[in-house]
Amino acid sequence: MSSRPVTVFEPPDLRRIRPLAALQRLAAARDLFLTLSLHRISVRYRRSRLGILWAVIQPVAMMLVFTLMFTVLRAKPAGDIPFPLFAYSGLIPWTMFSSGLYNASTALTSHAGLLTKVSFPREILPLTYVVAGLVDMSIASLVLACLMLWFGVPLQLTALWAIVAVMLLTGLLIGLGLLLSAAQVRFRDVGLAMPVLVQVWLFATPVLYPLSAARASLPEHLYWVYRLNPMAGVVDTFRRAVVLHQAPDLGAIAVSAAVVTILVPVAYVYFKHVELTMADVI
Amino acid sequence: MSGSAIDLSLVDVWKAYRRNASRRADTFWALQEIGFDVPRGATLGIIGRNGAGKSTLLKLLAGITAPTRGRIVIHGAVAALIEVGSGFHPELTGRENVFLSGAILGMGRREIAAKLESIVDFAGVGPFIDTPVKWYSSGMYVRLGFAVAAHLEADILLVDEVLAVGDAEFQVKCLQRIQELRDRGVTSLFISHDLTAVERLCDSAILIEAGKIAATGAPADVVAAYHRRLALWDPTSGETTIDSPRSGIALTNVSLRSPDDAKAVAFSSGAPLTIAVRYAASRPIANVEFEVRYYSPDGKTRIAAPSTGESRQPLHVQPPGGVVEFHCSALPLKRGSYSIGAVVREMTTMKVLAWWDGDTRLYVSRGPATDAQLYIPHSWRLIPDDEKTAGISAGAQPPA
Repeated sequence: MSSRPVTVFEPPDLRRIRPLAALQRLAAARDLFLTLSLHRISVRYRRSRLGILWAVIQPVAMMLVFTLMFTVLRAKPAGDIPFPLFAYSGLIPWTMFSSGLYNASTALTSHAGLLTKVSFPREILPLTYVVAGLVDMSIASLVLACLMLWFGVPLQLTALWAIVAVMLLTGLLIGLGLLLSAAQVRFRDVGLAMPVLVQVWLFATPVLYPLSAARASLPEHLYWVYRLNPMAGVVDTFRRAVVLHQAPDLGAIAVSAAVVTILVPVAYVYFKHVELTMADVI
Repeated sequence: MSGSAIDLSLVDVWKAYRRNASRRADTFWALQEIGFDVPRGATLGIIGRNGAGKSTLLKLLAGITAPTRGRIVIHGAVAALIEVGSGFHPELTGRENVFLSGAILGMGRREIAAKLESIVDFAGVGPFIDTPVKWYSSGMYVRLGFAVAAHLEADILLVDEVLAVGDAEFQVKCLQRIQELRDRGVTSLFISHDLTAVERLCDSAILIEAGKIAATGAPADVVAAYHRRLALWDPTSGETTIDSPRSGIALTNVSLRSPDDAKAVAFSSGAPLTIAVRYAASRPIANVEFEVRYYSPDGKTRIAAPSTGESRQPLHVQPPGGVVEFHCSALPLKRGSYSIGAVVREMTTMKVLAWWDGDTRLYVSRGPATDAQLYIPHSWRLIPDDEKTAGISAGAQPPA
């Protein structure tokens, strides 16, 4: 009886946010995190005939469209590797990023009924979408393996760098997911802005062209701004590691790592602050 | 367990809501200056009319939203039976939903697995546990939701109107479960419109009115304070036929009791029932009639309305007030949860002087009649043909 937990509820105050204590509560709720993540994965494709294939259809369809387009235009943005492989290896991290942003940003508002009735660490909701995104990405990667076999491109030791890319991508999605989902509770503009944001972001990221093309064609000062995009390092590192057998551009990785290091703590504190009264405004 | 430990402590708690999301200035105080302590093992009842702030208070205690001012300190794990079936997903089976809902309410996966059988048993959904809950009846859905919540291990229990869900038998089960937890020393906080239940279950009570504590103390005293305030209350809802309190009379409570069992929670079909209507009068009024009304489980259909006027007995009421008792020797209602209303009228003009504004529930459980709409008090007699031919007809001695 003496080991009873003590809970204190006080008015929202940024100075009173204790991220470490919040992380402890999150760790205590790991069973809920696990259950909701499994739920997210199993419910998404239930009642659909193609089921988990949908995780593959989106990047494959985009890859086919762009391959067709570049074939018609007779453009060769990929250099000396087959374009489908080039495009698909960029689309895998990109698809996880874009659908992760869409899902995580509405993670709270789509569970309004739950948030006004039950108390639990709310960050679990956006985080489960990140987990579901990782699962989808693993499935989509199986298609990449098939493509590599088909085109006779082997896997080399450099592929280990892909782990770094995926870790950075996960960190980025955690940070943006926390930030956007919490902001969406108060400002529904976030959800409305999402399609525009994702579209613009796609073209500012070396998904359909190599990072070297951006460096070659952009003026120095614009390229400097371009480099601030944390997704550039993620997509470029993933592609280099898996299909180009090259070491990453460490500068690009450093930018992504710096963004993640700053974004995640800031987003978490903001989230925990908004969490206290989100049930009132959702 | 030390007697002096305080499990729940509220210090000058205020909660503001914005009336209009875009205008910062337009706020109203849902709770003001709320302060009380609940000692370990005690049961506190919170009463008040709709919109007084009871549910807001419970949301603060459950950690769903933070107070605007003040401080709440809680010692122990909290289980909130605020809305059962929270987090159920229609596409998932009953079993999967038990795991989902249990996890959302704070149970571990192993804990849920260990309790699964007991949960299914409590809910009485055994054969359907692997059916998606979207095929469940609303009753099954609610029962399963409550069954999960009822199996939470908690030091502190928050209950909000759970008794208003499910059928009568299930409600009795819920009451028993709450009583069981109380006996085990769980500290509880009980919000209800059902004043009889508050008086029965709670050690102390608080009356909340317009966001402030209006009375606190022993349940009977607080319920009495609530009645006095109801009598003073002027209904400004625009109902012109009703003239309380200027009519000089107000109905302050309607309670049910069984002549056989003073502590009865539910009544059986065919069993006797007494309904006591308490009134407060500010002046003598001659020639009034009282009526009690039975509403069907949906609360809409009036299914019976016996009145003192039927027996042409004009009643004369005197200040300060009293009780009118309605007695029924054999309850004709089938199993279910009914809502009981009461009105008092002037006998000559049939003008309504006052009506009961609270929520009094009648739970009818078990009893001899189960399938038909009504139970009719009766007796049977067998008359074989040879006796008939022998000239024995109705009205003769019943067979020994």
